[in-house]
Amino acid sequence: MVIDVYAFPGFIKEICQDPERVEFRRQQYFLYKQHVWPMELFIKQLNAAGIDKCIISAEDVTTRAGDTIVSNEEVRTLVDLQPERLIGFASVDPQRPDAVGVLEKAFKDLHLAGLKLSPAMQHFSPNDFSLMDSIYQICLKYNKPILFQSGMTWVKDSPSTYSRPVLFEDVAMRYPDLRVCLGHFGWPYIMETAMLLLKYPNVYADTALLYFDSPKQFFHTTFNVQMGEYWIDRMLADKVMFGSTYPRIEQKRMMGAVDVLNLRPKQKAMVLGGNALRFLGLEEKENG
Amino acid sequence: MVKHYQFSVLTDDEYSYHYIGDRVKEYVKESGVTSGIVTTVVAHTNCGIVVTEPLECIMDDFKVLLHKLVDNDAEYSHAHFLPTYGRTSANAYGHLRSFLTGNSCIFPIQNGNMVMGAAQEITLMEFDGPQERTVFVDVIGE
Repeated sequence: MVIDVYAFPGFIKEICQDPERVEFRRQQYFLYKQHVWPMELFIKQLNAAGIDKCIISAEDVTTRAGDTIVSNEEVRTLVDLQPERLIGFASVDPQRPDAVGVLEKAFKDLHLAGLKLSPAMQHFSPNDFSLMDSIYQICLKYNKPILFQSGMTWVKDSPSTYSRPVLFEDVAMRYPDLRVCLGHFGWPYIMETAMLLLKYPNVYADTALLYFDSPKQFFHTTFNVQMGEYWIDRMLADKVMFGSTYPRIEQKRMMGAVDVLNLRPKQKAMVLGGNALRFLGLEEKENG
Repeated sequence: MVKHYQFSVLTDDEYSYHYIGDRVKEYVKESGVTSGIVTTVVAHTNCGIVVTEPLECIMDDFKVLLHKLVDNDAEYSHAHFLPTYGRTSANAYGHLRSFLTGNSCIFPIQNGNMVMGAAQEITLMEFDGPQERTVFVDVIGE
């Protein structure tokens, strides 16, 4: 089972009927020339990459930009078209007045599988508990994990002040039963991420990072040179999940880059999918 | 007279090929042109158009040749973030294979039909798929 935990679905044709909304997505998500293509092609791309399932996430930037980039309802629509291949994550802007209601609806009525939060894009600190306690408590109530954007994002007006990995330590400590993933491995603060992965059982990270070079070259530099080349295999193999950051890069290339890591077969299988099943709360269901 | 047509092909894999000659012949018929030429151009820079005999063994040999000439993992310059796209490029091998094949072909039209050699087929070559590829067909004549 191979699962991509970090993909953005905003340019799949079936939710792109409105050209103005597509252009809004291009500008807000800093994907200026991204083409719209049909679900059929997206599934072919998953197949070519050897990916069985893909988490697709909504993005809610209502208080900053006046709208969602992709709504929870649009994610539900796409998942319903490919329920065996897609796993839908909700988004909520924590600063919108109706945030609690929006999230309750996403879990209770839309049955989305988790929550995506982007502190840098949404301009909040994950350890601002006066704002975030209610959000985290709803995730615990419905047993849903949170996928955080962390570290750098290419999106404009999105400072990494809000998304440094060390900020999530307070969350991990305050909510030890809340499963959280630090997207992009928190790059460039990868040592902070490695520290949190080592210390907190409820903290995960993903491989959706590509900021220089080709995927293979960047994975080599990040995971084999800047980090110790056996760190993931020996200590973090149950905490790191495959993520692609599609469509900023093709999933097939990010899958190929995983081969650069020094992983034994069992550990590689965990990184490619086993850990994601546990993160999603599906491990027992899949095994049973 | 010039008649413009275009169609799309959803390719299936990283490297694949698709025979499109019948589609081009249909457009020639539809155009009503009885004497002239037809051009077929693919609108992308990491795929190509070749004219070849449609035999699996030839296509297999061509794949071997292209992969010998153009390595997937060389130290390419074209492997970096593109700020005007918001994406990272890492598909130099696709562009380079496209250089080798070219992106177009021309055939004559006589008596209302596209004229081809008995062994010839127009083939869309995918070097960086799966993708949605647009093909332009222009029928020019009288």
